[in-house]
Formats: sequence, C-alpha cells, structure tokens
Amino acid sequence: MTWQAIVFLFVSSLAFGYSGYRFSLLLKMMSRQQGKALRLDRIPERIITTIANVLGQRAVLEKKAAGMMHATIFWGFLVITIGTVEQFVTTVYPPAHFEFIGPIAYSVLVWIQDIFTLAVLLAVSYACYRRYILRPEGLGKSKDAAIVLTLTGSLMVSILLMNGFRILGESPWWMEMMPISHRIASFLGRWGFSPELCLNLSTFFKWVHMLIVLGFSVYIPSSKHLHILAAGPNTFFKTLDREKGMKPINFENESVQQYGASKITDMSWKDTLDLYSCTECGRCQDLCPAYNTQKPLTPKMLILDLKSNLYRNQDKILAGKYDEVSSVIDTQVTDDVIWSCTSCRACEIACPVFIEHTDKIYDIRRNLVMMESRFPAEVQPVFKNMENNATPWAFSSADRANWAEGLSIQTMAQNPEIDVLLWVGCAGSYDDRNKKVLRAFASLLKKAGVKFAILGTEEKCTGDPARRIGNEYLYQTLAKDNIEVLNKYQVKKIVTACPHCFNTIKNEYKDFGGNYEVFHHSEFIAKLITEGKIKPTKTVEETVTFHDSCYLGRWNNIYDQPRSVLKSLPAINLVEMKSHHDQSLCCGAGGGRMWMEETLGKRINVARTEQALASNASIVASSCPFCMTMITDGVKTQEMQDKVKVMDIAELIDQATPS
Amino acid sequence: MNIYVCIKQVPDTETKIKLNPNQSGIDTTGIKWIVSPYDEFAVEEALRLKEKNPGSTVTVLSAGPSRVIEAIRTALATGADQGIHIEIPETADNHLTAKALAGALKKETQVDLIFTGKEAIDDGASQVSQLVAEYLHLPCVSVVNSIQYGNQTVQCKREIEGGSIEILESSMPVLIAAQKGLNEPRYASLPNILKAKKKEVKSLKLGDIGVSEADQKIRYKNFQLPPPKQAGKKISGDPTAQAKELVRILHAEAKVV
Repeated sequence: MTWQAIVFLFVSSLAFGYSGYRFSLLLKMMSRQQGKALRLDRIPERIITTIANVLGQRAVLEKKAAGMMHATIFWGFLVITIGTVEQFVTTVYPPAHFEFIGPIAYSVLVWIQDIFTLAVLLAVSYACYRRYILRPEGLGKSKDAAIVLTLTGSLMVSILLMNGFRILGESPWWMEMMPISHRIASFLGRWGFSPELCLNLSTFFKWVHMLIVLGFSVYIPSSKHLHILAAGPNTFFKTLDREKGMKPINFENESVQQYGASKITDMSWKDTLDLYSCTECGRCQDLCPAYNTQKPLTPKMLILDLKSNLYRNQDKILAGKYDEVSSVIDTQVTDDVIWSCTSCRACEIACPVFIEHTDKIYDIRRNLVMMESRFPAEVQPVFKNMENNATPWAFSSADRANWAEGLSIQTMAQNPEIDVLLWVGCAGSYDDRNKKVLRAFASLLKKAGVKFAILGTEEKCTGDPARRIGNEYLYQTLAKDNIEVLNKYQVKKIVTACPHCFNTIKNEYKDFGGNYEVFHHSEFIAKLITEGKIKPTKTVEETVTFHDSCYLGRWNNIYDQPRSVLKSLPAINLVEMKSHHDQSLCCGAGGGRMWMEETLGKRINVARTEQALASNASIVASSCPFCMTMITDGVKTQEMQDKVKVMDIAELIDQATPS
Repeated sequence: MNIYVCIKQVPDTETKIKLNPNQSGIDTTGIKWIVSPYDEFAVEEALRLKEKNPGSTVTVLSAGPSRVIEAIRTALATGADQGIHIEIPETADNHLTAKALAGALKKETQVDLIFTGKEAIDDGASQVSQLVAEYLHLPCVSVVNSIQYGNQTVQCKREIEGGSIEILESSMPVLIAAQKGLNEPRYASLPNILKAKKKEVKSLKLGDIGVSEADQKIRYKNFQLPPPKQAGKKISGDPTAQAKELVRILHAEAKVV
C-alpha cells in the first residue's frame, strides 16, 4: 500500500466517521419527534415526483436564472462526484480505474465531467454575482453561503489544475476527451515546467480536491447544505396533492394529552425533515403577504428559527427529557409571528424543496388556542358566536336564510329532489354585500334551469375559521353537525360561492364521513356556459382584472375557470395584475385573519388593492366573499370607489345574461 | 378560601324572542342558552382569586330547570371546581330564585365570598344579587368594576352617576355583583372542557333547602313583544312649520307632550 493510500484512508475515516456520527444524531432527533406523519402511500407517484424534482430540478427551475445556476451545480455535482469516487478508489487501489466501463462510455464520461467543471465554475460565479452584487432581498446575509461558494469554486479550480498539469505530465489517451482541461494545459504550458513537476503538481491538486471534499462532508451536517441529503427524501415524502386538508385530531383518544405543538418535539418527523431541508433561498419570503407588509412573520425565518430551537434542545431530545424541552414560542417565534399568517400558502408553493410551513403554524396555533386559550382578544367573540349561533359574526342562526327572502328558493326540508345543493356560507347569509352575490348566483342558477335548494337554517358555519385559527375542537363540532345534516338529505353534489367553504367541504369533511362532489361557483358557472345553459349576451365594455382567492387557487389549483367565465362576457377586456395565478398576493383575510385586527405593518388588503388599481381595471372581479370585503375596503381606503367597482364573477355574468 | 358564584342561564344575545301561544312566557324551543355575560365576569373574578390563593375552591350555583346544568358545566370548563344546581320552575320570579340560591348557600359550611353578575341580560331586573345577600344577612356591593382584596376585607370600586367612582370597603364574607370591565373572561381550554365533564354537580330540590314554591311573589300574567320598529319620518317645510309639525306629532301621535 502506498503512503498516499494510507494517508487517505486515515483522513477519510476521520472525516466520514465524524460526519456519519453527526448524521446519526440528526436522524435520531427526527425519530424522537412525538407527532405523527406516515407517508408511504402511492409509492410510484412519489418516485416519479422525486425524480422530476431532484434529478429534473423541476421546482428549482421555476426561477429561471437562479434555477439554471442551481441545476448546473447539481448536475455537475452528480457527474463530478463519479470522478471524485474514482479518485478516492484509485488513491487506495490504483488499478481500480473506471476505464473498465469501456473506451466509448469512459470518453463520454470524462468529456461530460470536463464540460461540467467549467459550467459549475460559471454557475458559482453567477451565484456570487447574484448574492453579492444583485443581492435579492430573500437571500439575506449568510456565512454558510460564502463558505460553500468558496469551497465549490475551489473544487472546480483544483480539478482543472489537476487535469491541466496531468496533460502536461503524461496525458493518457482519454484526456484527449477533455477540451476545457486542454485549454488549461496549454495555458499552464507557457511556464515550461518539467513533466515530473507537472505530475507532482497534478497530484498536489488532486489532494487539494480530495481534502476539500472531505472537509465538505464534515461541514454539511451543521450547515444549510444539509439540504443535499435532506431535500431528496423531503421531496419523496411531500404532500402529493395540491388539495391538502388539515390533519384531524382524534379527541376520542384519551391517551392524547397534548393538542398541537407547544414544543418542537410535538411536531412530526416530517416537520423536522422540512427543517433539515431548508436551503435559505428565500423564495417563500418573496411572496409572503405578511413579510411584504412589514409583519414580523417571514416563512424563511420561521423555518430557520424552528431549526435553531431544535438544535438548542438537541441534548434534551436525545436524552429523552421531553419535559425539559423549551417552548416553541420564544424570542424569535413570537405570538405575533404565528398570528400574522394568512395561510395563503404562497410560501409552500414557492418552496423548491416542498417545506410545509402552514402545517407548523397550524400546529402551534392549535396548542395556543386549545391548550393555553391564548389568542388575539378579538377572536374570543368569534369563537363564542360560532359556538352559539354557528357563524363567526354576531347574527342569529334563525336569520340564516333571510338573504333568500322573496326569491322563492326552496330548502332541502321542503324539496330534497335537486340537482345540486347551494351551500350559502356565513358571508352569503349575513354580510349585506355578499348577500347580493348569492342572490345573483341563485338568479343565474334559475336562468340555467338548475334544480337546487339550500339547507336554510339547518346550515352552519363549516368551521373553517375556527380550524385555521387553531380551534380544532370547535371546528369538529360544527363539521360533524353539518355532515349529519348533509348525510340526512343524502346530498351528493354541492356548489358554493365561498372558496373557504369549498375547500373545507371538499377536502376536509371526508375525514369525518362527509363525501360529496363539491364545486366552486366559478367551476359551476364555467360548466353551465360550456353547456350553453347560460349565454351572457350583454356587452361589458369594461377593463376587468381577476383577483385570485388563495383557497381557490393555491389550495385547489383553480385558476382558469373563473377567467374563462369572465372571458365569456362580450367585449370584456381582461387584464392581469402584477401578481396573479399561483404568485398572487393574498387579500389578507385567510387563516382566520378576517376576524383579527391588523395592527402591524401596512394593511395587506391595501397592498393588493394597489396592484389592482395599477392594472387600470375599472372592475376588480372576485370569487370569494372575504376577498370581496377586503378589496372593497381597500378601494375605499384609496378613495377610488367611484371609479373602481369590486364585483363577484357571478354578479357580472348574471347582469350580462338575459332571463 | 371558599368562593361561590351565582350564575343564570339566559338566551343567547342574538336570539329572536318569540312568545309561547298563551303569551305566558317566551317560546324556548330552538333557543341557544348561554351564561349571562355579567355572570361570566363573576366567574372569571372567582377564578383569578382562586389562582392567587392556592387551596381555594370555586363553587358555581344556578337555580332553574335542569337545562341550567349546562351553564354550570360551561363555568366548570373555565376552571371552577364544582357546581350546585337547585331545581326551580321555569316561571320562578326573582324572590324564589334568590331564596333558592340563599338556601343552598346556607347549607355550605363556610362561605367567604359570593360573586354574581350585576344583572341577567334576559329580564334585566337586577334583583337577585341583593336579595341573596339580604336573605343571608351579608353585605352587598353591586355594579363593581374593580376589587382590591385585603385581609378579610375587600375594597370595591363602582362607577356611579356622573362618571364618578365610588369606593366601598366591606368585611368578608360579602356578595359582590360584577359590572363589565371588572376583567376579561377567559376562553375555556380544551383540557379544562374535558375535565369539566367529570366534575361534580350537586342537585338540590327546594324541599332540601327549606324553600317552597309559595315563596314566589310575582306571577307573570301576560307577555307582549315590543311593537316593530317603524321607518323614520322626515318633517319638511320652513323651521316654524317643522317645529309645529313636530309638536303636533309628539302630542297627538306619540302622546308624550
């Protein structure tokens, strides 16, 4: 055995031994989490998703320049690692050269490696340019990043120097296949070093390269570069469907004493894997309505702060002393951080490694509300109203069907023979502006000849506000009551004009025995137009912009239907705001924020209204009662109510459709 | 310290009140019952006092038909220790209610403090708290929005007419009737809601406490709903004509002048 082999074996066992130990601790911490998450369903889909997003870099490439930069480094890392392994192996046992794969395959391999070495170097240069010259806000300052960029750059330079000097020293046949290294060699050749010296220099740079790789392996477990190992599994275990319901709590299980997360250990192993996966790219923060209006919440810092909470408690977690683990709410993750979230899910959609931020916020809220009764004071009457009158607002449940007076709409009790149940929702039932939306939608259904009925006073709030605020217990009470009534009438199809009701009934009632075919009214109207049952004929010579509701768009992937509905209006000029579709900005009302005061930072609805006004639209079209309220308020705040109207898509179509 | 809270179950504030067919009372079908909001301040005050004085117990009392046990459970869910329900008819008046509550309290070995709301929001009579104190021969301070606890004494602040504050000091035991502003009632935590289901609620009949239905002094004969609100009237014309018309309406139609 050569001295090189002995030195390498010694150094690499130290390096890999240390990093292996660190990884085992990280894994152990993950396995000690108390919360539940098991995701081993739909394995083939998971494999495909993982291949597309890890090997294919699909989500990363959503951002073009930064995505290409990352993809180049990643693909380069894959091919160059083959060469690194070859270096390791041949250092120990020189004959184990990878030439055995055949001359053609080996030629292709070294050619690709050579090209990628330069490509990675260019990508690292772009990364430095982006990070230190362009300085996008989401990136922030990071010592980790500086170290990693320096190391990665040095790795590529050391490879090029190693190859360049080797070409000058001996140049085996396959080195003919390295165009970049040849250029380097001809540059280095100017100095006229002897072949022996060149070979020695080549060996020197090989060692530089190998030692940096070993250094990297030691550095990874404690850095943001842990994502190299965590992001792949995190992608595999991600929530597969866009339509994601919140996890139900089983209150009948009396062995459960803790509801929600009061400590980091109350979360699940998947939450921990999320924390390990974060690369601090800041895409989540770029789109966050809370962050962009100067609230204390930034999804990126939430994840990093939870990660540092986890690391701070590492010894206690590993020792099994869960009672001594500190609270998840601390000086970084404050109550205000947790209450600032509108659950718009822009962060999750943007995250290239599929971190699920909202799950953590919901878990923490559940503990605050159910275990500690700790929440913004204005929420208490909301809970009381939901308990006593099954609506978040202070109205009598006896008045729930008053909006329909004079419209001769039947209730299910009067006529259960229907095509579809119209789920009205609390806003449609009680809010004066949204009552008009429901009247317009009901009028449209009549024009289309749809047989429908309402539950009338038998309908209750779906429980969505309670659930998003963290009161799972109250949510389940209301959900179970509603499901009992819906099942009593054997309801099959439901249509609603409220995306929050839509999301809850469609994606979350099935956990409690409520299985229905649920439509949002934008889907339903689109279908009626396609079928020719509704023909909007009156021209609408207006410039209209559509505001995406988060629970319709990001939570349920419905972007096209409301737009196709609007496009059916003759002479309409449909324009988009600065942000739209899955990049859209929330109105500020989601996640129970509708019922909380907004005292920190700029008002989110004003920020969104500014985007709407900048589109020069005369009508802002909405498809959600809460968006309607928020944008209407925003337009009034900007004193533009005489020039800009906020209307629901159902109202626009109803006006344009003759009876 | 043995702390007692008298509460009343009332229809939710959003209830649309309907009368029963013979107009002898309200139609209770479909009503969502709640703890009268002023009584919630009383419960909260008792809980805070208990938290400051470990070893204390908070007992919640309510007189009424069996449905009021639900109100007692609600109070237990916020953290009270035990409940006493005294069965009295739906039609009981303030006297009978007060006698029943006082009768139950007399059976307790030691009463250090009694809290109530300043009034119930259904009949708004503001009678029961004072009557209970009277039947127990205890001092009573009502409409209290701040309390300082001393050694066997309390100092209560109450707002009186003209926005002035009156400060009263009383020895203990004493009955204190809570006004809004005394505190912010808590929202029951889930563990407490679940625990409340297992807490003891003692049920008493009038006979058990030496009270009889004959103690009722008022019998309700007839209820009427207020007349529906009418649309406003706009009086037009020059100021003199407007004034004349206004006087005519007040005199001839409203019959107030």
